[in-house]
Amino acid sequence: MASLSVLRIRRCLELWCRSQKWLGSHVSVAVAMANSCSSGLTPSLGTSICHGGRPTNRKKSESFYCCCIKTSKYNAFNFLPVNLFEQFQRLANAYFLFLLFLQLIPQIASLAWYTTVMPLMVVLSITAVKDAIDDLVMWLPGPLVPHCPFLIFLFPLPSADILLLSSSEPYSLTYIETAELDGTLIPSFCFLFSFFLFFSGEVRCECPNNKLDRFTGILTYRGKNYILDHDRLILRGCVIRNTDWCYGLVIFTGPDTKLMQNSGKLLSVSLQIGSMCFILAIGHCIWENKKGYYFQDFLPWKEYVSSSVVSATLIFWSYFIILNTMVPISLYVSVEIIRLGNSFYINWDRKMFYEPKNTPAQARTTTLNEELGQVTYVFSDKTGTLTQNIMIFNKCSINGIFYGGVYDKNGQRVEISEKTEKVDFSYNKLADPKFSFYDKTLVEAVKRGDHRVHLFFLSLSLCHTVIPEEKVEGELVYQAQSPDEGALVTAARNFGFVFRSRTSETIMVVEMGETKIYQLLAILDFNNVRKRMSVIVRTPEDRVMLFCKGADTILCQLLHPSCRSLKEVTMDHLDDFAVDGLRTLMVAYRELDNAFFHNWSLKHSEACLSLEDRESEISLVYEEIEKDLMLLGATAIEDKLQDGVPETIITLNKAKIKVWVLTGDKQETAVNIAYACNIFHDEMDGIFIVEGKDNETVQQELRYDGRTATAHALEGNLQLDLLRTACMCKGVICCRMTPLQKAQVVELVKRYKKVVTLAIGDGANDVSMIKAAHIGVGISGQEGMQAMLNSDFAFSQFHHLQRLLFVHGRWSYNRMCKFLSYFFYKNFAFTLVHFWYAFYSGFSAQTVYDTWFITFYNLVYTSLPVLGLSLFDQDVNETWSLRFPELYEPGQHNLYFNKKEFVKCLLHGIYSSLVLFFIPMGAIYNSVRGDGKEISDYQSFSMIVQTSLLCVVTTQIALETTYWTMISHIFTWGSLGFYFCILFFLYSDGLCLMFPNVFQFLGVARNTLNLPQMWLSIALSMILCMLPVVGIHHCMRHPLPPPIRTKLKHPSSRRSAYAFSHKQGFGALITSGKTLKTNHCSSSLVFTQFSKEILESLETSINLLFHSHSRGSASSLEGTTQVRQGKVKKEPPDTCQEKTISGLPSTNLSKF
Amino acid sequence: MKRKFQNSQSRLPDNTAVKQQQLPAYRLQLSAKEILSGFFATGVFCLGIGIILLLSAKSIKEIEINYTEKCANCAKLRENAANFDRECTCSIPFYLSEAMRGNVYMYYKLYGFYQNLYRYILSRSNSQLVGTDIKDVTNCSPFKNSPDGTPIAPCGAIANSIFNDTIVLSYNLNLSIHIKVPMLRSGITWWTDKYIKFQNPGSHNLSSAFAGTTKPLYWPKPAYELDEEDPGNNGFINDDFIVWMRTAAFPTFKKLYRRLHRIQHFTEGLPAGSYSFLFLDFPVSRFQGEKSVVLSTLTWSGGSSLFLGLAYVVTGAVTWLAFFSMMAIHLRLKERKVFFLQ
Repeated sequence: MASLSVLRIRRCLELWCRSQKWLGSHVSVAVAMANSCSSGLTPSLGTSICHGGRPTNRKKSESFYCCCIKTSKYNAFNFLPVNLFEQFQRLANAYFLFLLFLQLIPQIASLAWYTTVMPLMVVLSITAVKDAIDDLVMWLPGPLVPHCPFLIFLFPLPSADILLLSSSEPYSLTYIETAELDGTLIPSFCFLFSFFLFFSGEVRCECPNNKLDRFTGILTYRGKNYILDHDRLILRGCVIRNTDWCYGLVIFTGPDTKLMQNSGKLLSVSLQIGSMCFILAIGHCIWENKKGYYFQDFLPWKEYVSSSVVSATLIFWSYFIILNTMVPISLYVSVEIIRLGNSFYINWDRKMFYEPKNTPAQARTTTLNEELGQVTYVFSDKTGTLTQNIMIFNKCSINGIFYGGVYDKNGQRVEISEKTEKVDFSYNKLADPKFSFYDKTLVEAVKRGDHRVHLFFLSLSLCHTVIPEEKVEGELVYQAQSPDEGALVTAARNFGFVFRSRTSETIMVVEMGETKIYQLLAILDFNNVRKRMSVIVRTPEDRVMLFCKGADTILCQLLHPSCRSLKEVTMDHLDDFAVDGLRTLMVAYRELDNAFFHNWSLKHSEACLSLEDRESEISLVYEEIEKDLMLLGATAIEDKLQDGVPETIITLNKAKIKVWVLTGDKQETAVNIAYACNIFHDEMDGIFIVEGKDNETVQQELRYDGRTATAHALEGNLQLDLLRTACMCKGVICCRMTPLQKAQVVELVKRYKKVVTLAIGDGANDVSMIKAAHIGVGISGQEGMQAMLNSDFAFSQFHHLQRLLFVHGRWSYNRMCKFLSYFFYKNFAFTLVHFWYAFYSGFSAQTVYDTWFITFYNLVYTSLPVLGLSLFDQDVNETWSLRFPELYEPGQHNLYFNKKEFVKCLLHGIYSSLVLFFIPMGAIYNSVRGDGKEISDYQSFSMIVQTSLLCVVTTQIALETTYWTMISHIFTWGSLGFYFCILFFLYSDGLCLMFPNVFQFLGVARNTLNLPQMWLSIALSMILCMLPVVGIHHCMRHPLPPPIRTKLKHPSSRRSAYAFSHKQGFGALITSGKTLKTNHCSSSLVFTQFSKEILESLETSINLLFHSHSRGSASSLEGTTQVRQGKVKKEPPDTCQEKTISGLPSTNLSKF
Repeated sequence: MKRKFQNSQSRLPDNTAVKQQQLPAYRLQLSAKEILSGFFATGVFCLGIGIILLLSAKSIKEIEINYTEKCANCAKLRENAANFDRECTCSIPFYLSEAMRGNVYMYYKLYGFYQNLYRYILSRSNSQLVGTDIKDVTNCSPFKNSPDGTPIAPCGAIANSIFNDTIVLSYNLNLSIHIKVPMLRSGITWWTDKYIKFQNPGSHNLSSAFAGTTKPLYWPKPAYELDEEDPGNNGFINDDFIVWMRTAAFPTFKKLYRRLHRIQHFTEGLPAGSYSFLFLDFPVSRFQGEKSVVLSTLTWSGGSSLFLGLAYVVTGAVTWLAFFSMMAIHLRLKERKVFFLQ
């Protein structure tokens, strides 16, 4: 207990009860103010902010004490201080605040205070407005979760884990949908405390950790101890269902610590600035010694400057202030605006709108757009992502008899089509009209009253966690957590075993028209390890029955020996199902005698109360009763591919994006789907399967280059071997993955490959993977909203991914790169002029420009053109970027903005600043105006330099803009015109006479703009700055791939559905599948022991042709392949090579 | 279907050009031909401008006489505080072999005088100079107040260090007759400076307007007595003062001192012959720089600086060089492309 942190409940206040009319239900949450006695582990317990819900205005009038729960972070009073505090926590803002303070020190101030204050204010206020809008949006009823009847909004930022105390349900049951478990509904139990406004008790619980399915603690209340486990916890992000209200206690809360980075670049630039300042300070020191000392008659040193060294120290900081305009604060706000704009484009894209569901694509994070253009690895979930996740009860095997196939008169198997006659369910009034089934023999069997068939469907209608809703008599709607379950229960319903309603203790089933009530004695719940669930019910005939359904691999070991032969037959059927790409479950039952069950339930409750290692004890108890099961049969559920998946994957492959499928499904199913959607190709001849049950086998599998590794695939040294093998492969499928393992695989690639990864998934079981990857994409599909809520981008169809990556991602990346290189360039050119001027101004930190120009340069004069560039520019249009996925490749290697590009910007900036400084200098040095008056005064000089600078950077951006829209014209030329307007305003008589000490450049515009020297020097600067750029650009420019030469393979003729056409290739596969099957069974005991650690099986298909260049390791891999399964060569290798080559010329050209 | 959505709030994004990123646009794709001709044209332009500039600069006559060394004795003498009031003149004769036709301008040129130091530039009070608040010396450190605390007018380091040499040019008709070349001291400043930026304080009588202030430390006379000949040229609107107050951008600079009054012998400009400069009032010279005086005629493009002309010529030449080399590369590439296609 040492590591337990103690929370003491001071008081527990009922905070509010809100009515949500639009949801038609009440959800009330009571939250205790808890403060932590432990220190750093529970950082924000004391504040206890819970994003619970939204107190409507109407409710505010009621006398609920609502002090510490807020949906929104701010109110009218605290907005300013809280928001400012938050903003200054960001490194960049704090840095500029520090600069501002530097500037306020009179001894080192080299710029007027407003040069920093004004941009900072603008940036802060823009961010503040954005935050305020974000905050307001939270108050509005979002269209987020339309189909969940009851929920707590636990918004992504500070949310909380809540301990349930009490709920509206009679048996203190609350159904919650948890995020991290396999997308199931979990009944949570509350303590039945009668109501308390003041409640004192103590909760002892474990420290916050990342084990989401485990929680231990004790609640002490009125001297009694109550055990807390994870059943009683609503984790953050959970959804409450089937519950009118509940009260809870906030246990853990704290801000998400998704990091804001980007501090590295700032640091390196600061260092650079620092070194420049150092040079200048040394220069100043020397100058003061040689010149400044003698100039003291005219400008005495300040009293505190005793020597030139002191002066140089001060000058260092003065230059630090000046040179910091290299990375101005507006960079950050511009980046945010660009990202925001580019995410809006995603939201607005009509081509990513999915009409049947009325869902547009959604960019939920605005910070990742440019990473979308750099994705190298895509990790995809299978179910619901590649497939539609519309589950259809398709086939079944009951008592060794296969149902579900349709045969014609000759006994030939018939493909099911629209025309195939459906089974008539009219005998059953409660049948779901949408359900269709084609095999009449099954209905006949039901009608005949086949005992086994009845039992089979009865078990399907009893063993689940579905929640029925019957708003209108006879119209049942099932709220199923996973669609498999829904499909099974719906199937049972149609065949005449209608699950009608449930309480926490009973289940009402209408069996062939006859209502029966089963007493629910226990639910032995599903979890990742058990991979099965059971219910124990007492039938109306007073028999105690256990119904179990679960993964065949697990269940087949728990069967009674008497059903061995049935098992063999069923396993054969299961293999057939798997080949068809169906999802399978085994169903079994056991009849228990009363005494045995009584004994067991005592043990069960004992185990439930055990404090230590409760879970393993409970699962031991479960295992005790889940044995000697009688096999009933197996179910097969069809899982349809989504539209355009194969095409999308082909396109992704062309762009050298590697698609890995991480699925919890069986290997056979997964391989089938992989073939169907082109992750595996027909011509890939070496599919080899890495599979191991414990560390030794995994080690053997991976020992391909003489390396000995000693630990499990995902946990130890084998990681690297695994990764190396997998990365050489053309397509990778990882099967039987738990959510945690999915995340581990993603982490693995992320850690060692240093490339941008994208995870796409739809279900709650993908959440961890989505969070682990750089970019998480959620498919708003069938399996609830969990994945979507945790994702960065969300849409409803997998094939939108190519648009997201190749159009939006590519553009975003290109725009961001163009933005960054231009932005750095313009600021280098702008700032470095000061550096050169230092050599002529005694290193005295004198700026070249007017302070107002410095203030406005980034804020006004150059902000709009660069924003226009980075919001509207398109290097190639969307058709081209979709047709030539090769164009995506530069992004993966980050070719458009990296250190090299940065150095190029720097060099370009240095060159420009040299031109911008020395051309005007030469023009006015020792020169006079046409009327003999002077020209070489400081103010004219700064005017000439700043005007040439603006002309140069505007021309530069005009050259970089490839896509000239009206807006770009307005922004670019408008800004330049606006500069002259502002110039005349700032240098006007009125303003300068009103504030003579602030605006000192009176008349400079009028007297300088009419000078031939000025325009000649501007023209010369522009020519000198632009010509090399144009010339180099022209020489380096890669001509676009000529369309004639590129043979584009239109993938229209691809199969759209399952892998039936892969018959030849499948022979080997199926046999290997069978041998694997036995392996599974024989070694599954080992598997349960190591279950937590082992990546159970990993399948790899490798196209040796594509990777024959990867030398030794590839050949050793070939060896492995040969050992595993004789090579099946389907097509001559030439086809493949041809394909490679046909792709090559265009890439080569584009590189040229 | 669509209808239904329109009724029941379809979330289909609007079909506008901006939102769908379909704005009509012109794609900037410069072809090789365009770029090459651009280079060629730029080269022509630069060479043309350069040659014009060089030719026009050639017509300028300029003579510069450095008097730092030659008047060093005087300077030394004046450095000694005891000799502060002693008159010291030094005269430098020179010979003009060719007449300087047209307007002739006389400049003083300082080498190594840092008028662009940060603290130096700041050290002035514009509100004082514009005549609104004569006692506003806030920005003028380190020359705000005199030791006894009275505010200085005009205050600040710039005003304090004013160039106050008196330079007189005389034309030696023959050995005995020395004609003082008539010079104008007006029209040497920007109009905006003279009439807007610099204004004397409101009072009618200048000396009373400056009451309560004291003269800058290094000035022999108060501001309102700068020009004894022209009472309208006193105070802050004194032309020499205004010229000095427009600080130079670089440590070496020349400022307009006088322009030739084209009367009598000098209607055509300065005739050839022998002249001499006479330097009076030669105070502090401890900035380790050099001083010279410049006589110059002008053209449309201003002074004698050859820089712009040379720069244009060089740029034009380099552009042409680039043009020819790019042309060569282009032609070879084209050849290869043709070969490749065959």
